[in-house]
Amino acid sequence: MTADPYSEQVRALFARPDHAGDLEKASARVHIEEQGVRISLAAQCDGDIIECLRFRAWGCPHLLAAAEAVCRSYEGQALTALQAFSAAEIMQTLPVPREKLGRILILEDAVRSLGRSARVSPDAGKDTD
Amino acid sequence: MSNSTDIVYLDYAASTPADPRVVDVMTPLFGADGDFANPSSGHVAGRRSRAHVERATGQLAELLGCREEELVWTSGATESDNLAIVGAARYRADRGRHLITMPTEHKAVADVSRLLEKKGFEVSWLRPDDTGVLDPTILEAAIRPDTQLVSIMHVNNETGVIQDIEALGAICRERDVLFHVDAAQSVGKLPLDLASMPVDLLSTTAHKVYGPKGIGALYISGRPGCRVEALIHGGGQQGGRRPGTLAVPLIAGFGEAARIARSEMQENHAHLRSQRERLWRGIRDLEGIVQNGSESHAFPGILNVSIEDVEGESLLLALEPLCVATGSACNSKSQEPSSVLRALGRSDMLAQSAIRFSFGRPTTPDEVDIAVERYRTAIARLRDIAPGRAA
Repeated sequence: MTADPYSEQVRALFARPDHAGDLEKASARVHIEEQGVRISLAAQCDGDIIECLRFRAWGCPHLLAAAEAVCRSYEGQALTALQAFSAAEIMQTLPVPREKLGRILILEDAVRSLGRSARVSPDAGKDTD
Repeated sequence: MSNSTDIVYLDYAASTPADPRVVDVMTPLFGADGDFANPSSGHVAGRRSRAHVERATGQLAELLGCREEELVWTSGATESDNLAIVGAARYRADRGRHLITMPTEHKAVADVSRLLEKKGFEVSWLRPDDTGVLDPTILEAAIRPDTQLVSIMHVNNETGVIQDIEALGAICRERDVLFHVDAAQSVGKLPLDLASMPVDLLSTTAHKVYGPKGIGALYISGRPGCRVEALIHGGGQQGGRRPGTLAVPLIAGFGEAARIARSEMQENHAHLRSQRERLWRGIRDLEGIVQNGSESHAFPGILNVSIEDVEGESLLLALEPLCVATGSACNSKSQEPSSVLRALGRSDMLAQSAIRFSFGRPTTPDEVDIAVERYRTAIARLRDIAPGRAA
């Protein structure tokens, strides 16, 4: 079959969004609604390390797949790493068609914003144990 | 239709498989042992080919209730629509340059109407009510002395809404305006008797009615003044209205498809209605679900639904391997919601979530039950993933 708009990776991430959900005691949260897209991210941290990352999203399959990919790749990493998240990079990796850049940039805003909000409240995650 | 890859096909408004009886009629016409000759040739082989065309023309004429000489073979409904609208506009340009159509028309009508707008014609776009139905009095009020053509489809390809073409055509006839009907979705599925109907031009295609792709027809009424100017030239076939060597196997296939449709129309209609009702019964209790299009004017082969707070493209992917159509503009590059649904007053949010289920002769109750289960599961899953709205 040709002309499939979704790569195998996008299909796999969309089919198994294991990180879809919420965290009751999150260290940091962010919610963005723009251009008809909605994204929520929640992180639970141990110090500066992301122990658990969850997303909720309303949007196209590429957005949902990208959000799942973000959660998978940043768990276990330092919060500061979120600041380096790049829409361009994930668009190339999955890949995501260029016309969907706008919504992936919204995801980028959410990810970077999560990193910033976690850093200004370093004690927020301590009640999760 | 399903196969080993678990595909469930509920997109018969997009295309139907060729009926095996159609394939049986067509197959012998391709090879050296068959009647492959040019039907315009005067020799015996040509005459044998021509006999297939004549038989098929008779079969389609019987289905439509018209005379054989009122039919012109084309490559499909898109070409028929173009020939009808552009051909009539050119032929009757001296009468005026005003056309009337609707924003809910298929692109084959809407786009060619926009093209004529660019060429100096004026087009009035009549809006239906919120169920998709056009009130005939709106058409009556829109007709002007310089109106030369009205084009309104019989069954809407997205919503399945049936327009009252008898009433609309009667108004056109009374005002001496040509009336064109895109009947791609209705020919062979709803009864038509063009000899007694106020329709001047009618477009149809074979592949929506279990015939082959690549062949269609335009009915051009034989009444005085009903003519179209040819869009292509050379050869003089079909009285010069649509020249070019006739595609004998495709025409023969369309003829057989027309014969079958005519003989089995009643039972097929009941079958479609039963499948449509079964699907709607299975999903109608979902929160926020709405039918797009009038229930009282609904063609039973199509059920179009929208649902609140679900993203259409993700819904379509989550429904796989169910093959259905989305309410957005046919490709992931354009996220524009359907212009048809917007014309019905649907919000962008509801329009983009629209799914068109369309049923066919091969559709089974089991397939409909699978569709119900997949739709319910996909809605639940996507709603679970979606965040709430900010307060």
